[in-house]
Amino acid sequence: MALLVIEDLAKTYDKVTALAGINLSVEAGEFVTLLGPSGSGKTTLLMSLAGFTTPSKGTIRLDGKNITHVDPEDRNFGFVFQGYALFPHLTVANNIAFSLRVRKWEKAKIAARVTEMLSLVGLDNLAERKPRELSGGQQQRVAIARALAFGPRILLLDEPLSALDRMLRETMQKELKRLHRETGVTFVYVTHDQEEAIAMSDRIAVFNHGRIVEVGPPRDLYKKPSTRFVAGFLGENNFLSGHRADDDETMVEAFGTRFGFAPLRGHRERPGDTLTVWVRPEDIRIGQATGDEIGFRATVVENSFVGAVERILLKTVDGEEMVATLRSEAAVAAAPGQVVDCRIHPSAIGVLPGEASGS
Amino acid sequence: MRPRRIIEVGLPRLLAWCLLGFLFVPILVVIPVALTDRDYLSLPQDGMSTEHFAALADWGKGWLPSMLTSAGIALACAVIATALGVTFAVGAWAAGGWWPSFMRILLLSPMIVPPIIYAVGMVKLWARLSLLDSYTGVVLVHVVLALPLTVLAIGASLSNLDQRLVQAARSLGARPMTVFGKVILPNIVPGVAAGALLAFVASWDEITVTLFITGRAVVTLPRRIWTSIQDAVDPALAAIATVLLVVTVLALVARALVERRQRQQKF
Repeated sequence: MALLVIEDLAKTYDKVTALAGINLSVEAGEFVTLLGPSGSGKTTLLMSLAGFTTPSKGTIRLDGKNITHVDPEDRNFGFVFQGYALFPHLTVANNIAFSLRVRKWEKAKIAARVTEMLSLVGLDNLAERKPRELSGGQQQRVAIARALAFGPRILLLDEPLSALDRMLRETMQKELKRLHRETGVTFVYVTHDQEEAIAMSDRIAVFNHGRIVEVGPPRDLYKKPSTRFVAGFLGENNFLSGHRADDDETMVEAFGTRFGFAPLRGHRERPGDTLTVWVRPEDIRIGQATGDEIGFRATVVENSFVGAVERILLKTVDGEEMVATLRSEAAVAAAPGQVVDCRIHPSAIGVLPGEASGS
Repeated sequence: MRPRRIIEVGLPRLLAWCLLGFLFVPILVVIPVALTDRDYLSLPQDGMSTEHFAALADWGKGWLPSMLTSAGIALACAVIATALGVTFAVGAWAAGGWWPSFMRILLLSPMIVPPIIYAVGMVKLWARLSLLDSYTGVVLVHVVLALPLTVLAIGASLSNLDQRLVQAARSLGARPMTVFGKVILPNIVPGVAAGALLAFVASWDEITVTLFITGRAVVTLPRRIWTSIQDAVDPALAAIATVLLVVTVLALVARALVERRQRQQKF
């Protein structure tokens, strides 16, 4: 049985719906990320899990027990806040010891645990500092150590890295992964940064308009999204309009050609129906199509160097714009204004029901 | 000095010194007056005398009992107003929503209503409740007058405090009373101290309402001063002023020393 089961959870403020029926299970030891744009309900769900927000409807179960209306102090969930929320009047060691003193641990046990937590987050020699004397990254480590000290059932993290600069963010991502591995605590992590979600999570739940649009391992959501929203939100993507060819159920027409494709799950398109075709920028290559590959011609509109790769903006003969990312040496031929041959392997192409332009 | 410089720098500087003089000379003049050898308010004429200071210490003359009365009332007022102020300010800070702002306006109203109107109302009310000329009556009135000051001082301290500290403490297992005692209170000590001091001072020199609701039993220091200047202006007043002046200066020096030491500890 899953550690945490969320059933049909809803929250409405006056007339605004923050959560519209959330169902989600979290296994013990999992790293689950709640990903979505701001206002999509992910933070409201996290606050409900912590007990800071009372849901209007639905239940939260921990080990099968209903904890929907249990006080936050009785849940034994750690919480890492966006701005850290360290106690400014206490030293690092006393911040970490707070939950242990509240639980009336023995002095010796508290001291041992504080030392253990400090070395876990690599702050052994800063025990007597006050939070204001620490850098952002150090404060973040203290916040994590404080939330883990009492051995929480679940660690809830609310965009903990958003205040840090890019370099530090990447270091902390690795740190969090390590802490997750070493402690074995279940992590529920909220972020709006899809790269962060992909890099860290066992599973991602993608939120939009108060609902979970899709849940799954990052690889599955990236490679086989089943909604237009996830296809566009997770990683960069190109959307083109296509339609079902009228003679064969598995044929799709796009790129001025037709190619076979597995029938869409749960949708029954009729011949001629509009479809959305997507292809990732890294799957478009320059050159003559060979074998099964789909070839098409496009004009290079713009060519920009972004480090490891070149981003090339293409315009197809149909007037549709696409972005391709190419390794620099492959991009040499693609000068703006030039017409180039492009090729895509059909396995890299995804097809979704509905219009390409809508979300 | 060139004329332009005199206008731009010299003149404002002169004005500033005049203003300072206007503020301080009347205060400082009480010191020689307190040392006068006459028994009316005047500068020393045939030499200095400490008889007026001695009169302050003389229990029978009434100054000392009144000082103790005022100090006792001010202390009680400071304790009660601070306790109520902390309770309200923290509650309003934690709760959010519309009612805290409404309650704040209600609590600040004693600052807006002219004391004389408030005094007339209190006479009627206290007469009915038999609290006229009683310590309880005076303390209660002073608490009401001091409450806006404590709420403002403590509220200012709270406005710098991250509200998520409460959530953080609760997620770590702290019950609301522990959150209050171990997290909120330690972080607003300066505001609480300032509020208590303001409440003490407000009560210590309150005269308008006190005049209306006291008689023979409760004679605060401002009331005794008021009564004494009605028949003859006793130089003992200047002696009292001198004592208060010295106490205030000592308090300010002590505060500066404490702050300097705290700053040194920080770095």
